[in-house]
Amino acid sequence: MADPTVTADDVARVFRAEAGRAIATIARVLGDVAAAEDAVQEAFVVALRRWPAGGLPAKPGAWITTTARNKALDVARRESRRPDHERRAAREALEATAPVFHPVADDQLRLLFTCCHPALAPESRVALTLRLVCGLRVEEIARALLQSTPAVARRLHRAKAKIRTAGIPLRVPPPELLDERVASVLDCIYLTFTEGYAASAGDELIRHELCDEAIRVARLLADLLADDAGAAALLALLLLQDSRRAARLDDDGEIVLLEHQDRRRWDHDRVAEGLQRLGRVGERTAVSARAASYLLQALIAAEHARAPSWEHTDWAAIVRHYDRLAALTRSPVVLVNRAVAVSFADGPAVALPQLERLADDPRLAGAHQLHIARADVHRRLGRPAEAAALYRQALALAATKPERSFLERRVAELDPSPPDGA
Amino acid sequence: MDYLVLLYDDERTAPQPGTARWDEDMEGFIAFGELAATAIRGGEALWDTSTARTVRHVDGALTVTNGPFVETTEVLGGYYVLEAASLDDVIELARNIPTATTGTIEIRPLVMHEQTSDALVPPGATRQLATLHGPAGEEPEPGSAEWDRGAEAHGRFAEAAGSAVRGGGAVHPASMATTIRLRDSELLITDGPFAEGAEVTGGFYVLCGTAEQTAEAAGRIPVNPGGWVELPTIMELDGTDPDGTGLDGTELDG
Repeated sequence: MADPTVTADDVARVFRAEAGRAIATIARVLGDVAAAEDAVQEAFVVALRRWPAGGLPAKPGAWITTTARNKALDVARRESRRPDHERRAAREALEATAPVFHPVADDQLRLLFTCCHPALAPESRVALTLRLVCGLRVEEIARALLQSTPAVARRLHRAKAKIRTAGIPLRVPPPELLDERVASVLDCIYLTFTEGYAASAGDELIRHELCDEAIRVARLLADLLADDAGAAALLALLLLQDSRRAARLDDDGEIVLLEHQDRRRWDHDRVAEGLQRLGRVGERTAVSARAASYLLQALIAAEHARAPSWEHTDWAAIVRHYDRLAALTRSPVVLVNRAVAVSFADGPAVALPQLERLADDPRLAGAHQLHIARADVHRRLGRPAEAAALYRQALALAATKPERSFLERRVAELDPSPPDGA
Repeated sequence: MDYLVLLYDDERTAPQPGTARWDEDMEGFIAFGELAATAIRGGEALWDTSTARTVRHVDGALTVTNGPFVETTEVLGGYYVLEAASLDDVIELARNIPTATTGTIEIRPLVMHEQTSDALVPPGATRQLATLHGPAGEEPEPGSAEWDRGAEAHGRFAEAAGSAVRGGGAVHPASMATTIRLRDSELLITDGPFAEGAEVTGGFYVLCGTAEQTAEAAGRIPVNPGGWVELPTIMELDGTDPDGTGLDGTELDG
């Protein structure tokens, strides 16, 4: 009896959840990432035909992996483009697998390291991870990254060609290389998250699917690389930042500053998991520089998460974390954020000269965060004209619609006259 | 898999023959040679770019000019052909090359590579490395019909050039390149060739002959429209020295 409830959307949803694991496992057997992706794509086509009539399989993951294995075997038997020895090796490896073939979690870790290999461009690592580890379709990636589908398809094609041609291995790096290589995985996940959490362009400030996928991959990495402090710290950071997601925009899509957020709307399960993961990192002795930068950011996020209210935030502790972060990264953006924390710990008058010094840093040219931070300090010091001028400068640089709307409101509050007025 | 490993460095700050730093550098290369002995399939050191020429066709006429075609701060100072099981393995070897700490090392997968002939360099002749260059982004993919046509043209060139060709190799497109730099013991790995616009496209030959013969042979190498061939001079580490100054090769045998 056909199950009338299985639609094409259902098939797509199940594949999105399972495809990454299937690709990872087939890729390990074949030693070829692109061929594994093709095989799972073919399994998707079969599922679209069969599942609506026959119903969902009991174990979709095993069904997809087994069907993809059979498709890959068909290809290995008939394909003539590749050299004989490669076809034979692929065929033998596939034939050696069990007839009902389950995905293996470790395979995803291998695939993640391949997708985030430092010999691939950073943007390619993000796109590849979303495609192969998360199982997003090319159109979904293009939408999430605000790029055209052909551009993402070309980028993915080139990256997969490089994996194969340049011989990027499908493996978890050996212990002596692990620190070096985990860094580029952490950076890729963080880049995916920040693009979702504070989008660099478009109508939406938050792109939820990128946040969700980044946390999914961070959790995978932290669980499979249980001894790695950087992986645990990154997951804690993402969970703590993301816990505020629902409170960051009001019902009209306008930005709500941390100061005014309704803390009851925070995701308290995420806060609890984040704090628990962070607690475990604290027990570890040796922390690499890269892990330390994510750890310090997580500690800052944890101070906010723990504070019962804006007024009861431990700003002095936050400034101390920023001090260590600034010493570690030498990033001017960190210094801006540190000065903002100082403005709450010690008052805006103390923070102002620090921010004015940063205004001369050429690395911050075009950084609207600096203008916003300066504007806010002027506003709180009762200098509306200076504040309005700086908010206007930030407005010219702000990328997303909600950010522009927020800045326009601030300008209107401070300076009701139009910008061109006398 | 075979990889072409290109060593780019700033020759203005590179050690000069006869100095203590040069000896130190040489010892570093000898140590690398021992470390990578089972992986090294070939390689040459090059004289500085003042010995290099550029050969190209302008309006159908062969033109030979001094120096490289594209001026870059870091210039090609030598290369290795290394055999390794994966990109990670070749990176692990290449990070030990002495110039990794000062210059840039580019790693390119090779489509094929022919051993350089060991035949003696006749008196009056030098060996020149002919690196092929062309407009970026227009390289055909190996296996395509266009690539096959190019390979046939190179086969005809090599056959006609006879003993003037002492070896060579075909590389995958520059988009398959990886560069590494070692700074403060931190390995920096990036996607792409060392310098856009100056990268090797297609491959390389080792040519042998007088200055006229090598330029003439280089002029017949098939390159894409708008392409050119650069001809730096290979350093003969057995003591042959085109300028009659500098390197005392006997020390290297010790």
